[in-house]
Amino acid sequence: MPEGTGALREVLPKQGTGGELRPALRARPGTRSRPFSPFAGQLSVEDMPALVLCKPKILPLKSVSLEKLEKLQKAALDAAQAAPPPSAGAAPPRQ
Amino acid sequence: RSPGAPPQPAEAGPGGSAAAPARPRSAATRPRSAPGSGRSSRGAPAGEMGLEPLFQAWSYFRRRKFRECADVCSQILERPPSEQAAWNLKTRALTEMVYVDEIDMDQEGIAEIILDENAIAQVARPGTSLKLPGTGQGGGPSPAVRPVTQSGRPITGFVRPSTQSGRPSTMEQAIRTPRTALTARPITSASGGYVRPGTASMITNPDGPFINLSRLNLPKYAQKPKLAKALFEYIFHHENDVKNALDLAALATEYAQFKDWWWKVQIGKCYYRLGLYREAEKQFQSALKQQDMVDTILYLAKVYLRLDQPVTALNLFKQGLERFPGEVTLICGIARIYEEMNNISSAAEYYKDVLKQDNTHVEAIACIGSNHFYSDQPEIALRFYRRLLQMGVYNCQLFNNLGLCCFYAQQYDMTLSSFERALFLAENEEETADVWYNLGHVAVGIGDLNLAYQCFKLTLVNNNDYAEAYNNLAVLEMRKGHTEQARALLQTASSLAPHMYEPHFNVAILSEKVGDLQRSYTAAQKSEEAFPGHVDTQQLMKQLKEHFAML
Repeated sequence: MPEGTGALREVLPKQGTGGELRPALRARPGTRSRPFSPFAGQLSVEDMPALVLCKPKILPLKSVSLEKLEKLQKAALDAAQAAPPPSAGAAPPRQ
Repeated sequence: RSPGAPPQPAEAGPGGSAAAPARPRSAATRPRSAPGSGRSSRGAPAGEMGLEPLFQAWSYFRRRKFRECADVCSQILERPPSEQAAWNLKTRALTEMVYVDEIDMDQEGIAEIILDENAIAQVARPGTSLKLPGTGQGGGPSPAVRPVTQSGRPITGFVRPSTQSGRPSTMEQAIRTPRTALTARPITSASGGYVRPGTASMITNPDGPFINLSRLNLPKYAQKPKLAKALFEYIFHHENDVKNALDLAALATEYAQFKDWWWKVQIGKCYYRLGLYREAEKQFQSALKQQDMVDTILYLAKVYLRLDQPVTALNLFKQGLERFPGEVTLICGIARIYEEMNNISSAAEYYKDVLKQDNTHVEAIACIGSNHFYSDQPEIALRFYRRLLQMGVYNCQLFNNLGLCCFYAQQYDMTLSSFERALFLAENEEETADVWYNLGHVAVGIGDLNLAYQCFKLTLVNNNDYAEAYNNLAVLEMRKGHTEQARALLQTASSLAPHMYEPHFNVAILSEKVGDLQRSYTAAQKSEEAFPGHVDTQQLMKQLKEHFAML
C-alpha cells in the first residue's frame, strides 16, 4: 500500500528551446550505448501534496462472550418491546 | 462343559429378578408423570421416553438444553413434595441461559472513568499506565498506514466486552464513544452494561421470576453449601443483584469459617462489581494463598488493570506462568496488556507463544493477522485468516478481512466473492457499512472511481456517522473539482472523528491551495496533534510558518 507521499510533477523542457544539444540519431534505432534514465531532461520538480484517503479497515473479530452478551441484550430489548403492545392491543377488541 | 451349564440359569435368575422389579418401577413412573406432563410445546414430554423426570432434566442440562431442563424442573416442582434437587437444577439451568464469563465482563461506565479515585499518580511515567498509550514504543505500523480508534490506539484484530471502553480522557469524548455493540448510546454507569435486574427473567422465565429475592431467608441457605453456591450464581449472574449476592456470600464464608477459597473469590467478584477494588484485591489474594487457581489469577489481574497498574498485572501473570507453565489464558492476558499499552511487537511475540500452545486460539490468530496486514504483508495475513476459516469461524468480519487480504495480495479471483459473502452475513447496518467502505477501497485500487463513489455513498446510507467515508468522498469530489462539496464533507468528517489526522490534513491542504492560510494552519495543528510523526504535515507547517514570518 503506498504511503501518503506527495505526487511528483515534473516540468519538462519545451520542444525546440533550451540549451541542450539534440542527441545524434542512431544508425540502428534499436541499440543503445548509454543507459536510459527517465529523469533525463528534467528541469525542476514541484512537490504537490495530495489529499490522503483514510485506510482500509480490518474488522476485529468478536469474542464468544461479546456475541453472547449482544444476543442477550437483543433478547432483552425484544422482550421489553413485546411486553407492552399485547396489553394495549388486548383492550380494544373486547369492546 | 456340563458343570458350566447350571450357572447360566443361576445368572439368569438374579438378572431376571433384577429386571422384574425394574419394569414395575418404570411403569410406576409413567402414570406419575403422565397427568403432570401433558404436552409441552418444546421437546418430548417428560417420562414418555421412560426416563425418570429428574434424570431427564439432568440429561437436558448436560446437553445444554437449558430451557427444556427448566420446563421439566418446573413440572417436578409443581407436584408436592417439591424436590430440592429439582430446585437446584432449575436454578443452575436459568443461570446458564444468561451466563457470560465474568472474567471477560469489564464494562466501564462513564461515571467510573471520569470520577476515578483509584489513580495513584497524577501524571504516570510512560509505559506504566493504560490511560496514556505511550509514544510508539512498540514500533508497530504508524497511523499513516493503520487506522486508530478514538483513544489513539491502533485498531486491534479482536474485540472483547472490555475493549469497547477505550478509556477516553474527557467527558465529551466519553459521551461520544459508542458503548454497546448494537446502539451508540453511551452507558452511564457500570450496571448499564449488564442485563438489567428483572429483564433476565423476561428472557428465561416469561411467566414471572423463579426466585423472589426479597422473601429469601439468606442465613438458612448460607448453611447449605451446595444450594448456596447455585443460589449465589443465580443472584449474581441472572438477577445481577450484587448486594444480595454479597450478603449471601458473606454469610456462607462465615459459616465455612473462612476456609473455603471459592466463597472468597465470589466475594471478590462482588466487590469488583461494586467498585471496591482494594477490598476485592485482598479477597483474591487470600483465596490464592489458600488454593492456587488460574481463574483467581485472572480476576486479580482484572482488578489491577482497573486500578491502572498494568505492570503489576504483568508481574502477576509472569509469576502465574511459573506455577502454571504454558497456560494459554495467562499468556493471552500478557499479550492483551501489551497491546493496550501500544507495545505491538511484544504483544505479537506473546500471541505467537499462545499459538505454540493452542494453535486454534481465535484471538491470537486474528491479532497476528491484522498486524501482518498493516505491516504490508497481506499474504501472511491471508494465511492466518484462512486458518480461521478452516476452523469454522464464519462471520461477516472474517470474510471482509479475507476479501481485503486477497485484494492486496493480488489474488483478485477471491476478492469480490469474499466481500459478497461478507455482505450476506452482515447482521446489522454497521457491519454492512464497514463492508461497503472496504469495497470502496477496492474500487479505488482498481481505478473505478464511479464505483468507489457509490460504495462510499452506500456506507453512509448504512451508517450516517462514518467519518472515514466522508473523508474519502471528499477526496473523490476534489478530483472532480467540486471544492465546496469537498470542504463540507471534510468538515463533517473532522467533527465526527477529531482523533483522525486525515480530515484535518486534507482541510489544511485545501485551504492552503485556496489561500486561506489561517484555516490551513489551525487544521495542520490538529493533524499534528493526532499524528505527530506525519512528514507531510510537518512540511506544510514549515511552509506556513515561513509565509507568516515573511508577513
